Amino acid sequence: MKLRELAYSRSGDKGEVSNICVFVYDPADYPKLAERLTAEVVQEHFGDLVRGPVTRYEIPTAHGLNFVLERALDGGVSMTLRVDPHGKSFQSLVLDIDL
Amino acid sequence: MGSGRVLTLGAGSAYANDRLEPAAAMADSGRVSYLGFDCLAERTMALAQVRRRRDPAAGQDERIDALVPLLAGYLSSGRKVVGNFGAANPDAACADFARNLRAVGLSGTRIGVIRGDDVRDLVRDLDLELPEFGTTVRALGDSLVSANAYIGAEPIVEALEGGAQIVLGGRLADPSLFVGPICHELGWALDDWDRVAHATLVGHLLECGVHSTGGNFEDPPYRVVPNPHDLGFPLAEVEDGSVVVTKLDGTGGAVDERTMKTQVYYEIHDPAAYLTPDVTADFSTVSFEDLGGDRVRLGGARGRPRPTHLKVLVGVNQGWKATGEMSYGGPGCVERARRAEEIVRRNLERFRDRIDDLRFDLQGFDSLFGDRLRGGYPTEVRLRMALRTRDADVARAAVHEMELLYFGPAGGGGAVGTVVPALAVTPAYVPRELVELSVEVVAA
Repeated sequence: MKLRELAYSRSGDKGEVSNICVFVYDPADYPKLAERLTAEVVQEHFGDLVRGPVTRYEIPTAHGLNFVLERALDGGVSMTLRVDPHGKSFQSLVLDIDL
Repeated sequence: MGSGRVLTLGAGSAYANDRLEPAAAMADSGRVSYLGFDCLAERTMALAQVRRRRDPAAGQDERIDALVPLLAGYLSSGRKVVGNFGAANPDAACADFARNLRAVGLSGTRIGVIRGDDVRDLVRDLDLELPEFGTTVRALGDSLVSANAYIGAEPIVEALEGGAQIVLGGRLADPSLFVGPICHELGWALDDWDRVAHATLVGHLLECGVHSTGGNFEDPPYRVVPNPHDLGFPLAEVEDGSVVVTKLDGTGGAVDERTMKTQVYYEIHDPAAYLTPDVTADFSTVSFEDLGGDRVRLGGARGRPRPTHLKVLVGVNQGWKATGEMSYGGPGCVERARRAEEIVRRNLERFRDRIDDLRFDLQGFDSLFGDRLRGGYPTEVRLRMALRTRDADVARAAVHEMELLYFGPAGGGGAVGTVVPALAVTPAYVPRELVELSVEVVAA
């Protein structure tokens, strides 16, 4: 099952760091999310788009997770030549993960 | 729950080019006593410094002439406006406000001007480290364009205490635009960390405008909001320990648990330690209660002492960025676009020493995610070239090479190209006591 079936997300940027927060629609799905959507899974899915470590923070009161991806924006908004310098589209790539 | 007093504040702007109509609607609604205008993003300050360098009377927000007439009724009833309209030139913003206020019959309106966020000389003297660059400020030499410290609610409170009805400054931190009014009106001390964290949560939910009401949110069929062409700006009814976020009746979008959650954790790293000039805020235990009718009650933010250092964004001139695009369609479009890339790369070889960075993408195929996500063979692709160079002639020549692809592989269509200044911004950190701020209240 794709993450998009049970969760929603938003990505943002600060310098060269991207963060992606992910929340389940149904709180009953939170344990599954927390168990399966690990930092390693996200790191693997993003591959060489991300050159630094991925850190995961749990937010149980919001039934969500926050991922911080370091050196993920090819030098940052103002430096990168990427089409999407902010990584706004990363929120959609994460939802493609097969849980 | 304290005195039970409720203060209602509205969002007026989320960035330098935001729509003005929702701010006008908010002002005319009669529901808010403060409007907060965030006019800046990471690059906006550096771009504004470039404008000021060309023209000493420029570098401020460019919407003030259009905005003030829209706020005339609101301001004439004594209600207040706080914004980082100053960008690179707070005094020019003040002059723009004063001129426009007089023109709409509001001469005498008191404007608080906050100065001191421009710390270019200070960062040069201290030769601050630039961790993302792996160098120090002095190594930048002439390419140092700007250095602005993120400043907090303290001078805003001072201006309001001084009787200002409009408060403006340069790089006032986004949430602080709301923290200042909340603490001033509700009588909260700026070292009452839990309350300052609560005010920061409110500011964080308002400063991004429609990001709280359905912007950057829809994903049909999973997430849709009503009338996304007409998203309302958020407003907040703040009291001690809790806040209700909502939007104006009749506007598009939604305020629900989902739009609130995505915004609370937007551009936050450790949810237990969100750093602003005002506080170290803990949003990890924020509570969400959907009241229905586009109203959500939030609470539960906690605070610890503010950081000892202020973040400074340093703007660095890196020459020019050129982009060029050309489309290919039908069978073999990927191969023809790759062939076109080879041709341009070959013809740019003559500039090799003057090109600092160069990349090609196939839009519609691999431009956003590289090889991380692949569908089937596309029906069309758009080849995009992007490069950075110190030499404007090289930038223009590269755009021309992309245009000449009309005579490259078969069927190239729709060439466009741009050359824009390449302006990097990178963070540094300065001890807060070294940043000298001043507040002056003047009459329009």
